[in-house]
Amino acid sequence: MSGRLDALRVVARREFVERARDRSFAISTGVTLLILVGFILANAFFNRGTHYDVGIVGPGSAAVGAAAVDVGRAQGAGVTLHAYARSGGAQAALGRGDLDAVVEGGATILVKSSPPTDLVNILQSASAQARVRAAVGRLGLSPAEAARVLEPRPLPVRSLQPPRPHRQSSVTVAFVGVLLLYGQLFGYGVAVASGVVEEKSSRVIELLLSAIRPRQLLTGKILGIGALGFLQLLGVGIVGIVTAKLSGGFTFPPGSAGIVVTVLAFFVLGFAFYSSLFAVAGSMVPRQEELQNSMTPLSLVIVISFFVSIAALNNPDSTSAVIASLLPPSAPLAMPIRVAQGAAPVWQIVASVLISIATTAALVPVAGRLYSAAILRTGGRVRIREAWRAASAERVPR
Amino acid sequence: MLELINLSRSFGDVVALDGVSFSVREGQMLGFVGPNGAGKTTAMRIVLGVLAPDVGEVRWRGEPVDAAARRRFGYMPEERGLYPKMRVLDQLQYLARLRGMDGAEARSSAVRVLDALGLSEPERMSSRVESLSLGNQQRVQLAAALVHRPELLVLDEPFSGLDPVGVDLLSGVLREQVAAGVPVVFSSHQLELVERLCDSVVMVSHGRVVAAGRVQELRGSGNRRLVRVEFRAQPPDWSAGLSGVEVVERLPTGAVLELRDGALERDVLDAARAAGDVTFFSVVRPSLSQLFREAVAG
Repeated sequence: MSGRLDALRVVARREFVERARDRSFAISTGVTLLILVGFILANAFFNRGTHYDVGIVGPGSAAVGAAAVDVGRAQGAGVTLHAYARSGGAQAALGRGDLDAVVEGGATILVKSSPPTDLVNILQSASAQARVRAAVGRLGLSPAEAARVLEPRPLPVRSLQPPRPHRQSSVTVAFVGVLLLYGQLFGYGVAVASGVVEEKSSRVIELLLSAIRPRQLLTGKILGIGALGFLQLLGVGIVGIVTAKLSGGFTFPPGSAGIVVTVLAFFVLGFAFYSSLFAVAGSMVPRQEELQNSMTPLSLVIVISFFVSIAALNNPDSTSAVIASLLPPSAPLAMPIRVAQGAAPVWQIVASVLISIATTAALVPVAGRLYSAAILRTGGRVRIREAWRAASAERVPR
Repeated sequence: MLELINLSRSFGDVVALDGVSFSVREGQMLGFVGPNGAGKTTAMRIVLGVLAPDVGEVRWRGEPVDAAARRRFGYMPEERGLYPKMRVLDQLQYLARLRGMDGAEARSSAVRVLDALGLSEPERMSSRVESLSLGNQQRVQLAAALVHRPELLVLDEPFSGLDPVGVDLLSGVLREQVAAGVPVVFSSHQLELVERLCDSVVMVSHGRVVAAGRVQELRGSGNRRLVRVEFRAQPPDWSAGLSGVEVVERLPTGAVLELRDGALERDVLDAARAAGDVTFFSVVRPSLSQLFREAVAG
């Protein structure tokens, strides 16, 4: 075996396999899927088009009903008419909740209890239309003339700024994406940290470091855990997309594939940025119980980035959103949100990626040194300054 | 041959090693002894590359030790440790692969070592390390040092915590390794064990080598003359009147005495017989423990 790359591969493989086998992985995947599928189905349920069932009784009601179907269609609501011979039958159906309203004799709108505002408005304008049509008919105009009077050409609408098409669905996709990214970056960052602590607290670290260098161990660990996180994100994403398509309640905006690719790409960038820092946090403490403390600064940064990014959902062009999408700690969350809404110019995306790569490239060697210096110190908690001093003295094998 | 050449290392103000040099040949078992804090663990960690020395170097087969050479060393750290949640066979296979074996070779080698250490039942091999008894965990730890067929064995306190059966098992394994030409270095506080197993010994104290050499030579070295006398019932102060004779170790039924200057063994025996009923009289050589106490005190 030629050494360095093989050792990396062996370490990465162990991290991947042991974690994938672990019950907590199955549980976390299950919970993520459950939340995601639940969210999508709820979304589909609430976005179902509105639909009304209207009973028609007595003379004059048919014309109002026909007009109501047209008005409803114009407002995006379906209206289905049910003709009744007698008022009693219609009222019984209304009482059972089979009907939303009944039009009696073209003159009265009957509802069960409190009037459904939207439906009443539809019926009111339908009734007005039917009556105007009848009046115009009595004036003796030809059908073409009547149509010109009744359906004048609508006023054209012009926007100063071009509207964002499919805005709502873009926001939804971006929101789900950033939620998954947040969970994935946090969860797998913590996995790196606690994996480091496990090796330290179980003391297996000394055996490992007699075989390979600390950097090989760290890099292999990050690659293995990162690969698992990436595949989980991909899998969850696929299940989410398929569920959304099947449920039929959600229309994907054009460019959804690009958003998915962006989310995956920014997971890689974000994990590369955070994972080595989480490893340092892990290497500083002797026991899992103390990990929470040493991770606090990192957790804060991720949580703040998350909230800044959520704010960018509503205002993807704001200065804070632009800055957040360029800074490496928040870019993995903020940039996909802006990309999803078509708010990020290409140069900003490229700049964000480059800044992230450059920062990570500068950070990893520093984190690697701190990790190497701290990982074999047993006993109490290691301070960053101590680790840095030991690393600077070049007496730590790396 | 493994050579430690002039190794020094300090931690802050604490000098752990101060110019330690010694070597181990192929087929040699070397006992590394010294009081707690003498620098044994630091020296072993430096050999394995877990620590870097401030000064000095380690050579293996005449070359400075590099990562490739270290991968062929076997190590049992003083701080025992394995992945608690990883299965025994997987874990050994993993450690063998880290040290350069390919997957299949690592697996068969892991099975072979577990078999030799009496852990070859399938349910043992597939259980998590944390679910094993302490004794079996120690066997797995030993297996971890042996699984990649090391060219050199460095074991830090391998006998500590073992019951007599475990001691015999480990002694047998070490003898086999030495017979196969593998140099073995181990540290221990159990000096009787070192005396029984090792052909050579290095004693360190305060980071320096205070005595080194073949066990027999060390014990026979110098012109010290010791006699051991035992009685059916020990009379009080029977040797007080002998000039040039000093008690170096009191026994329940007698004593070990050192003879200096012109004192004669014959005179000691006469004095003993005059004082009581002598059941045992012998000229003895100093034990490793005595040498150790003197070396550390000196």
